[in-house]
Amino acid sequence: MLHRFIRTTLELSILVIALVNLISHSAYSVTQEDNGLTINWNQLENIQVLSPGSHGYEPVKEIKLVGSDARQQLIIQTRNINGHPMDISRLVSMQLSPKGIVEIDSTGRLSPVSDGKTRLYVHSPQGDIIKELSIEVAKAESTRPVNFIEEVVPIFTKLGCNGGGCHGKSGGQNGFRLSLLGFEPTEDFEWLVKESRSRRIIPAAPEYSLLLTKATGEVPHGGGKRLEKGSEDYELLLRWIRQGMNYSKPDAPVITDIEVYPKERTMQKDKGQQLVVVAKYSDGSTKDVTRSALYEANVEEMAKIDENGFVKIGDQPGDVAVMIRFQGKVDVFRAMIPVGAPVSKFPEPSNFIDEFVFSKLAKMGLPASEISDDNTFLRRVTLDIAGRLPTKEELSAFQESNSSDKRELTIKRLLDSEDYAAYFANKWSALLRNKRSNPKNKRGNFAFHQWILDSFHSNKPFDQFVSEIITAQGEVQSNPATAWYNQVNQTTEMLEDTAQLFLGTRIQCAQCHHHPYERWSQKDYYQFSAFFSRVKKKRGLVPGEDFLYHQNGKASAVNKKTGKPVTPAALGSAPMTIDPEIDPRTRLAEWMKDPENPFFAKTLANRYWKHFFGRGLIEPEDDIRATNPPTNPELMDALAEYFISTGFDLKALVSTICNSKTYQLSSTPNNWNVKDRQHFSRAYPKRLPAEVLYDSIHDFARAPSGFNGLPENYRAVYLPDDSYNKSSYFLTVFGRPDSDSACECERTADASLAQSLHLINSKELQSKLSLDTGLAAHLAKQPEEKDKQNVELIYQTAFSRKPKSEEAEIAHLYLQKKSILSESDKALDDNQRKELILKKRREAFEDIIWAILNTKEFLFNH
Amino acid sequence: MLTIPGESHKFCDGRTRRNFLKIGSLGLGGLALPQILQAQNQAEKLSDSEAASSSIPKEKSVIMIFLPGGPPHQDMWDLKMDAPSEIRGEFTPISTNVPGIQICELFPRLAKRMDKLAIIRSIVGAHGDHDAFQCMTGRDLRNQPPGGWPSMGSVLSKLGGSVKPDMPPFIGLAPKMGEMRWADPGKPGFLGPSHAPFQPNGFGKEDMILNEISLDRLRDRKSLLKSFDNFRRSADQSGLMEGLDTFNKQAFGVLTSSRLAEALDVENADQTLRDRYGRGSAKNQADGGPKLLDQFLVARRLVEAGARCVTLAFSRWDWHGGNFKRGRQDMPMLDQGVSALVDDIYARGMEKDVSVIVWGEFGRTPTINKDAGRDHWPRVSCAMMFGGGIKTGQVIGATDRLGGEAIERPVTFGEVFATLYQNLGIDVNKITVPDLTGRPQYLVDPGSQPMKELIG
Repeated sequence: MLHRFIRTTLELSILVIALVNLISHSAYSVTQEDNGLTINWNQLENIQVLSPGSHGYEPVKEIKLVGSDARQQLIIQTRNINGHPMDISRLVSMQLSPKGIVEIDSTGRLSPVSDGKTRLYVHSPQGDIIKELSIEVAKAESTRPVNFIEEVVPIFTKLGCNGGGCHGKSGGQNGFRLSLLGFEPTEDFEWLVKESRSRRIIPAAPEYSLLLTKATGEVPHGGGKRLEKGSEDYELLLRWIRQGMNYSKPDAPVITDIEVYPKERTMQKDKGQQLVVVAKYSDGSTKDVTRSALYEANVEEMAKIDENGFVKIGDQPGDVAVMIRFQGKVDVFRAMIPVGAPVSKFPEPSNFIDEFVFSKLAKMGLPASEISDDNTFLRRVTLDIAGRLPTKEELSAFQESNSSDKRELTIKRLLDSEDYAAYFANKWSALLRNKRSNPKNKRGNFAFHQWILDSFHSNKPFDQFVSEIITAQGEVQSNPATAWYNQVNQTTEMLEDTAQLFLGTRIQCAQCHHHPYERWSQKDYYQFSAFFSRVKKKRGLVPGEDFLYHQNGKASAVNKKTGKPVTPAALGSAPMTIDPEIDPRTRLAEWMKDPENPFFAKTLANRYWKHFFGRGLIEPEDDIRATNPPTNPELMDALAEYFISTGFDLKALVSTICNSKTYQLSSTPNNWNVKDRQHFSRAYPKRLPAEVLYDSIHDFARAPSGFNGLPENYRAVYLPDDSYNKSSYFLTVFGRPDSDSACECERTADASLAQSLHLINSKELQSKLSLDTGLAAHLAKQPEEKDKQNVELIYQTAFSRKPKSEEAEIAHLYLQKKSILSESDKALDDNQRKELILKKRREAFEDIIWAILNTKEFLFNH
Repeated sequence: MLTIPGESHKFCDGRTRRNFLKIGSLGLGGLALPQILQAQNQAEKLSDSEAASSSIPKEKSVIMIFLPGGPPHQDMWDLKMDAPSEIRGEFTPISTNVPGIQICELFPRLAKRMDKLAIIRSIVGAHGDHDAFQCMTGRDLRNQPPGGWPSMGSVLSKLGGSVKPDMPPFIGLAPKMGEMRWADPGKPGFLGPSHAPFQPNGFGKEDMILNEISLDRLRDRKSLLKSFDNFRRSADQSGLMEGLDTFNKQAFGVLTSSRLAEALDVENADQTLRDRYGRGSAKNQADGGPKLLDQFLVARRLVEAGARCVTLAFSRWDWHGGNFKRGRQDMPMLDQGVSALVDDIYARGMEKDVSVIVWGEFGRTPTINKDAGRDHWPRVSCAMMFGGGIKTGQVIGATDRLGGEAIERPVTFGEVFATLYQNLGIDVNKITVPDLTGRPQYLVDPGSQPMKELIG
């Protein structure tokens, strides 16, 4: 029985996909607005049929369907004027002669009817036959046993029965339980067939089985109607029951992989593409599972996919990836939808970044914006590297310099400054969860923060930095890196933070079930957790502080699924044998920094890319997986390789990024790239992070900060931990993270009413603007003749540029208007009048400064 | 308290400074200013068509009335007349307009409206701490994901955004209290501060009252900002700049006059209606909340103006002593406020759209202690629900003879939340929000389904 099944699928596998292809495509044209009628159908020639074989898709002469379950999705394909393959399946019509051998539906899917041979004629919209194929059906009457794992379970997944919101959640739904997404078919079989005295299936009257009547809605079902009576899936379930509910034999072939065809396409807006998904089995057989697979686009607005695997592209240009899932296996279809604008010139590339970005832009037909001017560059790069606005002195020095490498020199100067180290320490301190969750952590918080800052200042190689954290031993006094384990104090957190922060892998799911979109199983999770199994704590020298050490012994963890112990294994690697006296964390660190490690360098490179560009090559930046491809894969790889080649040199990476022309592009859009959010054809404005905004306002208004227990003028960017958020409403509303997670997403830049009110009308801000030592008071004291310079100073400090003439005019008019004395004021004596004018001028400057810091130009780095 | 600096002749609508101070007790302050400004703002008001698109029907909303401290279930909705005297309590039950349902004699108005109410007598699973957390999130404090569970209002803010561009989707009316865990109007948890409730009486209060500058000066500043703010909004496609502009507009609206400010200002309301709610006092009860019935009216005005979720805290119910004395004071007030809210939402035809829940963090001990009080009893507690199109005129669940254990239809916090979400048109079996690890989180604990008894 089983052998017959394998043989059947094997025979089917030869002929899963048919393609009509053209050798010569220069003889006809397809326009962008093609609706099928603009193709010159008469000139199609040399048509080939392709089908998956040992070398991928190969030409074949005919299609053969064997067995009653044989199904085959056809794709009729040609090439458009640009030479890109193009799906025309839904533009042509198809006819069979003789009829009664095979059926073909409107999507081009074949199903057998009776044994025999027939021909398929593909007609152009004008009615001409442009292609014919021979089709043979054999054993149309022969049915084979339904395989529970490979055929029944996927139906539950496709229909959503075993989703986390329904029967798939832990404990099931209304008493009926299925394993999440069908990862545990043994349990599904048990629950479905045997549990509750087998009430869900009635072998004597299969149609009356609850399994079917619930799913079709014949019997009231909380989940509603999910299955059409008489549909293929219905018939399959019915046959499975009739055949006696077979499970699957132990030696039955298991699925090894799935493959989607095509893998990628360059497509036009509003066009469609039929996908074909082929499952591969351990015995070498394959099967068309197009209709059983699940499809999900990473940018939903860009592509819609129906249950037949037909991708409909929307009207947005860009890159979209469609994740395809079937039985825990995944594949990706990628589509690029070009803008199609003329792209004649790009700036001269500074380094490999530009080459990859510009080459992608050229393919996209997406012209880049101009290179930003010096002022904009200086403000941007100072904010991005040093977390502060450029000073007036920095600005004039930069403006006055005629050196051709002044941008490069500025980048170097900033990287050498302590502000760089402090700004990145601020970022990493949150990610490394340097949290004041307990007052006794205080010493550790300060020490850990300083250690991070020092590491960046001395440009400690990143692999060493990470290794020192992960393998930390001792106590904070002698080894501040141990403070990481203060907050990350459960084994689950240790491995999950390590995976997410340093390896871009969100493995949390696999603690309780197989990762739904990834290869990670519970076994992988617990093997990874075993690296941290020997971390122990004892009382340290200072009361309330811990001493962290490796306890000799065999590293292992218990797989919650099987209840069996597992030994340490890194992600996607074989289990390691580790001597009891060796700290397994050192082996993990070695694995991480191995140049061959596919996660480590890429994760950091992508994280830093996002820091400077506001958007990762992969989004979210710590969710790196095959099914979430980068918008520019070549660049992603090159960036990671570069980082490895420098010995994980962070300053070199930052320098390379900031020296690229791509980084230095203006945020001003041209006619074509205003909607671009993926390809870095211009700079994307970023709102200043909470701490940077706080410092910038204080710098600008010349006001001292006020943090409890810290010196006046202490900068928010230098704060050691989250504990100051509680006392600073400002930092809280602007989204400074509380170090609750290793995710950058905890820091939010979203706008809110509370933020607006605070900037517009808070006592805090008004009191800073009106300080006697503040900028407004200072400017008001200057003689009126100097107001031009005064306004310039305001603009230079806030925006790193001079005001435009109309802007200066507005400010002047405002100052004048505000300084006018009323009739009654004229009675005052000279001194009083002077005082009054000074007061009025001071208020006017406060108003101008207030308005400037509420502008988007101030609030954003652009 | 409140001061509005500026030239006195501006107050031309005849209101006295005293009026403003009263409004100020609501936290908003006399910012709903002269008609002159309203007219000016009229022109700037965004049309409804600009309202954010959303997955939640825009007319659906929820009002959560939290009774801080744990109200005595057996002295309110579930009287135990068969229990021995050391348990029974001093109050007697009265019949309601639904045959067979009796509630405490101190709720005569609610008794007449029982057909429009549903009472759950068997809430279980309270974690037993003094806080609003479970009543705001429907979740347990333990084993929270990083960042913490978001409250319902924050989830609605995330899923639905603003109904009206000049109205925050989530508003928490609770003022600061001595026990800040009671003042919790619902935290955003892992959804982040942009989904925190707008708190006109809490932390945001100070920013809502013009600070040290006059209204004239604010207007000058606003026009100055308009002239200076020339950065191309189109350069940002993330929607952030647009959001910022919207919120700035909201903020100026709050500071001058707007839908939000008007809704918050009970002086604007029909004063007869306000009397029907009972007004109350803004004074906090010890470390608990105020007995401010005006807030019931404000909550209704806010949801009508487009808020999706309004939370408030009423009085302080942690009666370890003098349970019956306090009950005689607070329960009639609650009776009046809730009854008025019932009438009001029916009168306005909002009974299918606005869901209201009235409850506290846990119940109280069956045995009356030596101080005539009752102590904490997380084993069982009660809730009252109405509106949202639920089936009313019924009691769900039952406790034993002593009111100590749920013996019929135990209801979890999660089930109550699932029901509220259902009322809002949100399928808890489908909708998820991503947490900080990217994991899709369902809105309620596993297994929590909308209560069949309540939904149609």
